[in-house]
Amino acid sequence: MNGLLPDVTALLPTMLGGLQTSLVLTVSSLLLGLPLGLLLSFGVVTPNRVLRWISVFFVEVGRGAPALVLLQLMYYGLPNVQITLSSLVSACLALTWTTAAYTAELIRGGIQAVPSGEVEGADALGLSAGDRLRFIVIPQGLRIALPSLMGFAVLLFQATSLAYTVAVPELMSQAYSTGSSTFKYLPAFIAAGILYAAISIPATWLSVLAEKRMSRHL
Amino acid sequence: MSRIAPVSTNLVVQVRNLAKAYGDHVVLRDVSLSVPEGSVTAMIGPSGAGKSTVLRCMNLLEKPDSGEIEIDGHLINAGAKVSARNLAALRRSAGMVFQHFNLFPHMSVLRNISLPQERVLGRSREEANAKSMELLTRMGLADKADQYPARCSGGQQQRIAIARALALGPRVMLFDEPTSALDPEVGVEVLEVMKELAAEGMTMIVVTHEMGFAANVADELVVMADGGIIESGDPHEVMSDPQHERTRRFLRAVLER
Amino acid sequence: MQMLQAILIGLPMTILVTVLSLALGTVAALPLLAGLRSGNRLLWLLSRGIIDLLRGVPPVVWLFILYYGVSVGALRLTALQAGVIGLGLVSAAYLAEIFRGAISSVHSGQWEASSALGFTRTTLWRRVVGPQAWRTAIPSYTTYSIGLLKDSSIASTIGVAEIVYMSNQYARQSGEGILIFFIAAGVYIALSLPLGILSRHLDTKMRKVVAR
Repeated sequence: MNGLLPDVTALLPTMLGGLQTSLVLTVSSLLLGLPLGLLLSFGVVTPNRVLRWISVFFVEVGRGAPALVLLQLMYYGLPNVQITLSSLVSACLALTWTTAAYTAELIRGGIQAVPSGEVEGADALGLSAGDRLRFIVIPQGLRIALPSLMGFAVLLFQATSLAYTVAVPELMSQAYSTGSSTFKYLPAFIAAGILYAAISIPATWLSVLAEKRMSRHL
Repeated sequence: MSRIAPVSTNLVVQVRNLAKAYGDHVVLRDVSLSVPEGSVTAMIGPSGAGKSTVLRCMNLLEKPDSGEIEIDGHLINAGAKVSARNLAALRRSAGMVFQHFNLFPHMSVLRNISLPQERVLGRSREEANAKSMELLTRMGLADKADQYPARCSGGQQQRIAIARALALGPRVMLFDEPTSALDPEVGVEVLEVMKELAAEGMTMIVVTHEMGFAANVADELVVMADGGIIESGDPHEVMSDPQHERTRRFLRAVLER
Repeated sequence: MQMLQAILIGLPMTILVTVLSLALGTVAALPLLAGLRSGNRLLWLLSRGIIDLLRGVPPVVWLFILYYGVSVGALRLTALQAGVIGLGLVSAAYLAEIFRGAISSVHSGQWEASSALGFTRTTLWRRVVGPQAWRTAIPSYTTYSIGLLKDSSIASTIGVAEIVYMSNQYARQSGEGILIFFIAAGVYIALSLPLGILSRHLDTKMRKVVAR
């Protein structure tokens, strides 16, 4: 146990590059996944049957399958159909899918929680259906969903640790290679854990804070 | 004071043979109502009588099963399919004020009043804001323009909601229990505004439990029970000499409280 | 055919990891819950800290720490042990929060009424607060269990031969990666379907009870 602390502190700076890749993966999956999630949240209730079934497929598989399965599906599967992507891009696609599927449900929940009085207010003023969606329902729905979307973002950041299985050089993968080259597995994984926690824990506090503020305003 | 029938006989609102049921539960049976321009109609009656439903059917927040609604010349037949254009025109003619205000919590007070003007009437941002400020000033709320609704008291929120509806220049204002969610003292602020509106000649239909308002401000009192209108007429006459046993029972319950 | 075989071999292990982790998590959640509800500032802080740490570090990191790191002396955890302990501890943290939320959702009037009636603490928990809190917790508990079923796949990273591990091996050997992982996805969905239906059923039932 004696040498553990110095080992960990010595390793921390060497892993910042991996942490950066983890964050890039998180942010790009969110940037692609959130708009898709918004579309899917309407897709799953559209009267158009074909669109609805496609949306339901993406949402159900994206939520029902472990992120690890989606990662491997993209990484091992896409070359089968002659699509070759870098491991970072294929991981980003897999996590975008997960993001879109989860956020679709969260956004739908937010939209359903928009108080009916606000919708009626818009109707009584004669706002068109499109305007009602654009100015009232979507902004309010997203606002209500914000705390849970923030909570999801933290889980997504943690899920990027699984991208090491498809050779993305992110934090976990860096810890693993450091561990196997120096045989100092424990310090390497503890250092990685500290870096993950340093981001996740404050981010979780933020989402809890957002939730408290939200419940005060509703 | 005793009033002669309103000078104008131009009917702004006409409701004919409105009926609505949820399954076996009949909410409205054959309700007909005419409201002359510039008059104030108060609707009273026990809860569950269908007062709010009549009001909400008027601008089609609820769709009646059958009957006709005509507001400012825009006719809607419950049996036929309602075109979006006709619906928009009808809703533009009728301003609605809700029991729970239904302001948009994510917009400032000013945006609450300006946005509908921009989107429904096509006014520019400047025009809309100018109109909003004029109305807010009239309500004594000009200093609240940049606040969010949650920062305003209930009475203030309701006056903002009235301003929001007025900004669209409606021909008739529909009030759905506008003071029921407010403390009595705060409700007075709102009733004052409504009295002013009535004095200025706004056509108003008010579902209310405020018997004082019904007696002193309204030109016509409509008593509803069990989904139908059981009695209507001059407020003082109806209150002092109700013709119907159901009215008598209701008035006794309300006035002897 | 070989494809299905791979998944079928992995299936019992997936279920085993899920069930054992859930059991461990549920039991280990109780002391954490007690800490969260404790009036003792120090105990509260300790529980809070453990929960935040367990949730703040990705499960795969915990599994690696347990599997590669905890090998002091002769004692070394097997992959299954490390997987179950790791996932179980992380679950304990999440479940403790779920239970805490459910208990605090029981209306304070229920506590007051129980005190006013002179109930003992045991009666209070067993007859009044317990059942109400449990009913509130069930939907979140089942949702979490479904999540745990999917998270059990993380045990594949340290070599537990469950569905994803077997699928991965098959994909590497055969070079076929679409169908096998779609089937794997389908199996997870099929496994979570009954749980999801149960949860939704209980949720609607609960809502009816809560709303008039």
